[in-house]
Amino acid sequence: MDYKIVSKQNFADRFKRLDIRCPDIAGKVRPGQFVKVCPAAGEASIPLIVFEIDPLRGIIAVIVQEADPAAQKLGAMPINQSICSVLGPLGTPIRIEKKGVVVCIATGIGIARILPVARALKQAGNKVIGIIGARTRRELLLEAQMRIASNKIFVATDDGSREYRGLATDLLKRVMGEEKVRGVYAVGSVDMMETVCGLTEALNVETQVILDVPMVDCMGLCGSCRVKVGGRTVLACVEGPAFNGHDVDFAELRIRVNAFKEKDRWGNLKSSFNPRENDLRILTKFPLDIQRS
Amino acid sequence: MKPGESGGCPLGVDIPGFVRALSENHVVETLAKIREQNPLPSVCGRVCTAPCETSGLRNDQDDPPGIRALERFAADFGKPKFAPRKARIRAGKKVAVVGSGPAGLSAAVSLAQKGYWVTVFEAFDQPGGVLRYGIPSFRLPAKVLDEEIHEIKLLDVEFKTNCYAGKSINLTDLNTQGFEAILLATGAGVPQLQDLPGVNLGGVYYGEEFLLRLDQARRQREKDTDLRLGSRVVVLGSRYLALDCARAALRLGKQVTWVSPEAFEDKKVIPEESVYAAQEGVHIEALVEPLEIMGNDRHFARAVKCVRLDYADTRATGHWELTPVPDSGFVLEADSVIVAMGHAPNSLIKRDVPQLKVNDDGTIWTDPCDSTTSLRGVFACGNAVTNTTAVVEAMASGKKAAEHIDAYLKNNK
Repeated sequence: MDYKIVSKQNFADRFKRLDIRCPDIAGKVRPGQFVKVCPAAGEASIPLIVFEIDPLRGIIAVIVQEADPAAQKLGAMPINQSICSVLGPLGTPIRIEKKGVVVCIATGIGIARILPVARALKQAGNKVIGIIGARTRRELLLEAQMRIASNKIFVATDDGSREYRGLATDLLKRVMGEEKVRGVYAVGSVDMMETVCGLTEALNVETQVILDVPMVDCMGLCGSCRVKVGGRTVLACVEGPAFNGHDVDFAELRIRVNAFKEKDRWGNLKSSFNPRENDLRILTKFPLDIQRS
Repeated sequence: MKPGESGGCPLGVDIPGFVRALSENHVVETLAKIREQNPLPSVCGRVCTAPCETSGLRNDQDDPPGIRALERFAADFGKPKFAPRKARIRAGKKVAVVGSGPAGLSAAVSLAQKGYWVTVFEAFDQPGGVLRYGIPSFRLPAKVLDEEIHEIKLLDVEFKTNCYAGKSINLTDLNTQGFEAILLATGAGVPQLQDLPGVNLGGVYYGEEFLLRLDQARRQREKDTDLRLGSRVVVLGSRYLALDCARAALRLGKQVTWVSPEAFEDKKVIPEESVYAAQEGVHIEALVEPLEIMGNDRHFARAVKCVRLDYADTRATGHWELTPVPDSGFVLEADSVIVAMGHAPNSLIKRDVPQLKVNDDGTIWTDPCDSTTSLRGVFACGNAVTNTTAVVEAMASGKKAAEHIDAYLKNNK
């Protein structure tokens, strides 16, 4: 299979939009699902949310954030070059139903993840209120598409370079006061999603969150993307990435996400151990009473 | 000895026969003899659990005869330089095999030898399944596996990689594409999610995750690798996965402690491999059960709280069970913890194909007589059916399923 890049667009500094031709996947992707993309043979593969599909031409559009080496390599690929592999659609699609007024709130790269959900919700007959946020106006992705996908839109930037100055969650608070919101769909940083779930839980509004947990193989074989939802450990790549926000254990989620972010902690762990010496650290004794039958 | 009998090879390899041929210096003939029954001799020569060695071909007082090593020798040095390619008569029927692990590969070979057009679907970008991604390269080099898969490709078996059966392609789609039988050999690569407190802390990996990340890090060696491993590694578990993880971590220059809740003799690995690990410098703490992974203030693993076990007859029933030794708790300091405490059956295919009947423990239900699942024309074999069996048993099960598919397609005319 030949996965060719048919179009490419540079967004803000680190974001690139790639249109990839893969006809067998394009007809099957549903909102909330993602694909696993491996830029070249021997590279790591990255999970990417499909935010736009064209089933007739067999093209999917993804946004790449150039964070790790594999993503940088993918972002550097020119038009007409073929990608090594695209696997998908993976994950469970998000549940879309007619509810009335729904809010789609997203920040940063999360806007690309919420866009197909907002479109599907609008198509299902909901009144969609979009709330998008970013640090600056330049980093606000897909604003025009989001405007079309939602009936009403609010924009928040941290520096006030676009519309409201402040956090997207402040806008959500205002919207929830004005409208009778039936459902909230949130994507963003862990803190932002936790705030949203706190707000909606008080008002008893159904909330779906799409989690971004570090994944390796994206098919449920490694257990890297384990999260605690409703007291049960589940794999986000199989049962998610969308979950009921009120069930998600955000403290655990923060640990899992931070475990792969804190570079400095791993930098100073250079091994000075010589296996030949075999000097074993021992082992502080402590009193332990085990009650077992 | 007959195939399938206890002590013999599960695949039915004629062990006395090939040993005799090898002792008479007929290496090429030996390999041909092994290949009659075993489609992956150089893989089995390296990673087989060798049930033939541990029980009974020869007297118990003897040392193990090293059948595995002989097989490896024959496979590595017995390749004929000019292999004649036989023309095959095809039955013209197409069979799809889902999964290219040991079970899938051996089934594909058997079916191809019976004259069917076989297509193997694999979700990863290279075929091999657990042989490639679950066994580190020092035990089974990728080159050896590639050679074996090349041999299989010579039998006109088609490999479709990057194709996730159930998601990228439905089983009904396979039917419409003309596949008259589908064999599910999806394996048991899913980690058994543990209830151990602290298992979700930073610096804690599941065994499968560790090996996959290691593989990725190897591939992009010159760059900033994503493998984050502290200098003191504790591996929890008692099977091959734990052993592989411990030896792989040791090769990264780490100080490795292998904590196993089973005794050195009871561990489900052949003793030879444990001895290798000990010689390489893995510190083995046998009969120790982990109770908790303790975290530091930044939620990274700091230590493992353990307790020693011993056999005791506490209830005076005559059954000696493993029980914690009083006052034997200790804390093992660790920067990274690898949890390799077993596999769960692959739950993915059932999620994608809800009509499939599933046992209580998550394995696919099959009829023991003919390997059929609850769907017509869909068969299953390997670890998807019988969880946690060895490579060689999975291969034997694949071969058996191939015979059942042959019978089904012949009766179905």
